[in-house]
Amino acid sequence: MRFISNKIKQLSIVQIIVSIIIIVGFFSSIIFVNNNHSFYTNTIVKVLDTKLIEQTDTVDNYNNKDILSTQTIQAEIKNGKYIGQTIELTNDYSIAGAYDQAYSSGNELFVSLSKTKEPLTASVTNVKRDKYIVYIAWIFIFTLILIGKKQGLFAVVSLGINALILSFALDIYVHNYNVNLLFVISICVIIFTISSLLLVNGVNEKTFAAIVATLIGTFISVLIAYLVLVLTNEEGLRYEAMDFLTRPYKLVFMAGVFVGSLGAVMDVAITMSSSIFELYEKNNNISLYALKKSAMDIGKDIMGTMTNILFFAYLSGAIPIMILYLKNGSPFLFTISMNLSLEIARALAGGIGIVLTIPIGLYVSLFFLNRKKAKL
Amino acid sequence: MNVLFLLTVILAILMIAIGGKKGARSFFSLFLNFIVIILTILFMTDESANPIIITLIACIAISSINLFFINKINSKTVVAFISTVITISLLLIFIHFVTKKTMIQGFGEEEIDELSIFSLFIGVDLMKVATSVIIMSTIGAITDMAISITSPMREIYEHKPHISQKELFTSGLTIGRDILGSNANTLFFAFFGGYMALLLWFKDLSYTIGQIANSKIFGAEMLIISFAGIGIALIIPIASAINAYYLVSQHKKEKPHSN
Repeated sequence: MRFISNKIKQLSIVQIIVSIIIIVGFFSSIIFVNNNHSFYTNTIVKVLDTKLIEQTDTVDNYNNKDILSTQTIQAEIKNGKYIGQTIELTNDYSIAGAYDQAYSSGNELFVSLSKTKEPLTASVTNVKRDKYIVYIAWIFIFTLILIGKKQGLFAVVSLGINALILSFALDIYVHNYNVNLLFVISICVIIFTISSLLLVNGVNEKTFAAIVATLIGTFISVLIAYLVLVLTNEEGLRYEAMDFLTRPYKLVFMAGVFVGSLGAVMDVAITMSSSIFELYEKNNNISLYALKKSAMDIGKDIMGTMTNILFFAYLSGAIPIMILYLKNGSPFLFTISMNLSLEIARALAGGIGIVLTIPIGLYVSLFFLNRKKAKL
Repeated sequence: MNVLFLLTVILAILMIAIGGKKGARSFFSLFLNFIVIILTILFMTDESANPIIITLIACIAISSINLFFINKINSKTVVAFISTVITISLLLIFIHFVTKKTMIQGFGEEEIDELSIFSLFIGVDLMKVATSVIIMSTIGAITDMAISITSPMREIYEHKPHISQKELFTSGLTIGRDILGSNANTLFFAFFGGYMALLLWFKDLSYTIGQIANSKIFGAEMLIISFAGIGIALIIPIASAINAYYLVSQHKKEKPHSN
């Protein structure tokens, strides 16, 4: 007990306030997601018991073997008019589980009740996932704060702020027919860059250099991507494979390129400017040639890993759909071009931004360094 | 001309012009990693193979390319490699548990209409594939964190050879924390860029918060973002501890000879 109270005394006011906000947020959200059934208009049931009643082997047209199972489910209704009643459901599922899954006791499900006959029957429409999404979000927040301390907290906060800004900007776009998506996203990109870099690196020349370099790098890489699209007449891009399209696909794709490469470009820009300012501070008499060479060496070191980060972040998402295509007899090259063309284009455009930001970051930082020198 | 071809040529020219030999190696590593992803998918189409084991092997191949091929084989990259493999293995177990609980495998109701021409009973356990997607999205960032921690730690050690194991571990943590923010940002923005269409879909179809929070697609994206953050945070203590242990115990071994 003494140990804990001593620990608390060492904390600053800000730390105490942040801890209280986090703890209150944690408990209230956990209590809420476990008791929010009455907030939903759709009927929610909790699975009490399941019984496997049938299993059949299937072989489809492409000779894929799977096992189809049928289970009956005893479930209790958790909200609405029939709260507390028990109903029986049936559920079919396969090993693949592309659009089905086995349920077990404790699972919570959304169902649609058919009220026409007694006893009540229902069919499953969705799984109640909100509880787990909140749990995992908290595990994420605690891991980052416990390991990353202040920097971890900043990463979480900046993720939250950026998500809110993006959501707000998209609201503006969706509700105004005459606003161009790329214009809205450009404004977003400027806000993201300034807020993220200031939050992580503080107000100083180093940060200003990184902000300017990031903006130049991002806009040039998007311009290059756009020119390539115009020059090639967009040959080879399979927009028809884009999911969730409610808007002009080309704009949505370009907006994705814009935002997607931003983080990586920021990382390169801040690395370049920090190293140049640090090299200069360590040795005020360093020659321009030596300064340039050391900074370029650092740039060369990060070029490969940064492009690889983007590459995996984009391409990995296509794995399940590609497996589905291949298992349904689609030709190999068709599967790749259909499902990866946009992701590869995004990764390449981002890579171009990363590489260009190395010299851009170098010269912008030198410019800011000279300005700082002139002031002294 | 083809968009992808032209972009590839531009990227290759820039990487070689700015990065020289190392740039050429970096570009070639992208190509190698592409082959690894394609092979991973091909192996996963075999329903008797376990997608998680395939993922682990793929991650080992990818970290070898990112660490040993772009850089060289030396104690820094070997320690980074070991730390990456340990982190990935721990994460795989945890992620698989969470994907099972959240049931975010396969395809969402938003996508399923377009897939009506396909047979969905393909025999490949897509729950395990979902676990694979989450870890593969982050593997590039995890290896980057590992090498960014192990190489400056070695420099610190060379400047101060009598530093204790604990002090060295603490300086590893400090280095890791300093790069955590910008690395997390890199991943978060990359994911945001990819989710642009999905976000517009939610807004255009006026999804309620309840619908979004329970939808399979949103859940899957949340898991990817969360585990990306958890992964790059988790490697910090793991890489620092292994590297501190390795450097100091190495020193003890060499001591009778060098002094």
